[in-house]
Amino acid sequence: MRHHNKRNRLRPSSSLILTSLMDILTVLVLFLLKSFVMEGEAITPVPGVALPESSSKTAPRSSIVIAIFEDTVMLNGEVVATISKATASDNLLISPLARRLDETREQAEEIARLRGAPEGFDGKVSIQGDREINFAILQRVMYTCSASGYDHISLAVIESS
Amino acid sequence: MRRAGRKRDYRGMAEGELDLLPMMNVFIVLIPMLLTSAVFLKVAVIDTNVPSATSAAPSSPAEDLSLAITIKDDYFVVEGRGIESRAIARQDADAGAKLAAALAEVVIAHPDHQDVIIISQPKTRYQDIIAVMDISRASGLMSASLLGAE
Repeated sequence: MRHHNKRNRLRPSSSLILTSLMDILTVLVLFLLKSFVMEGEAITPVPGVALPESSSKTAPRSSIVIAIFEDTVMLNGEVVATISKATASDNLLISPLARRLDETREQAEEIARLRGAPEGFDGKVSIQGDREINFAILQRVMYTCSASGYDHISLAVIESS
Repeated sequence: MRRAGRKRDYRGMAEGELDLLPMMNVFIVLIPMLLTSAVFLKVAVIDTNVPSATSAAPSSPAEDLSLAITIKDDYFVVEGRGIESRAIARQDADAGAKLAAALAEVVIAHPDHQDVIIISQPKTRYQDIIAVMDISRASGLMSASLLGAE
């Protein structure tokens, strides 16, 4: 007891014991870094898109991404069409999107050929649609995808708990 | 002078303390950065079939049932070849359960059947379509095709 008092008197500005805090922080950082690594090449939600909830458990695969939200249709992060224009006509084909998809498909085919991949072009596309969009635009986008050869369409959703 | 300085250094190190402040600074920056960019919502996908533009006709005899769920403004309509079509009011709180029951009946009567066509109106909300797909998947109809009302 007396010993303690003496020590305290010698060091009036007692330093914080940071070791335990450091332990917590180290674990947190490792945990967060690991959660990044675990995600792998899974698709990430495009900012601004509120994906619908679903009970589906199918893991996403890497593919090209079409995001539909507010008034825009984006292909791989680039705005290619607007919903209002696309749904104005009765034509199901969205020609600007179709053009870009064709370009993307040609590139993918070329890459598959150069790499000598046996399966070639897989035609996978995932659609990230906001939960508030109408079927009219979804139908047009899906039709355009299949018209351009992308017929493995997966709809991105959020797993509901 | 020099001696005195050395002496002071030794006294400061006497407790063998690490200088953790720089590390703390790094962590304090790192953690908010990782937390803000971390994705806590898990993304999944639903695979769909697109009725191809060229061959709309079903190929195998198993698909002859052509079971369809039509999402109308007020009703879900379940219909198909040889199935009594029925309408389920969407306003009801248990519309989902009723639809699931109706689909379960069809699945029991036709155990091999796994396909369903979901026919939506142009104004149907995406979330509603996904909800119907969930219900049909839960009922054992694994392969859903999306179609627009003519």
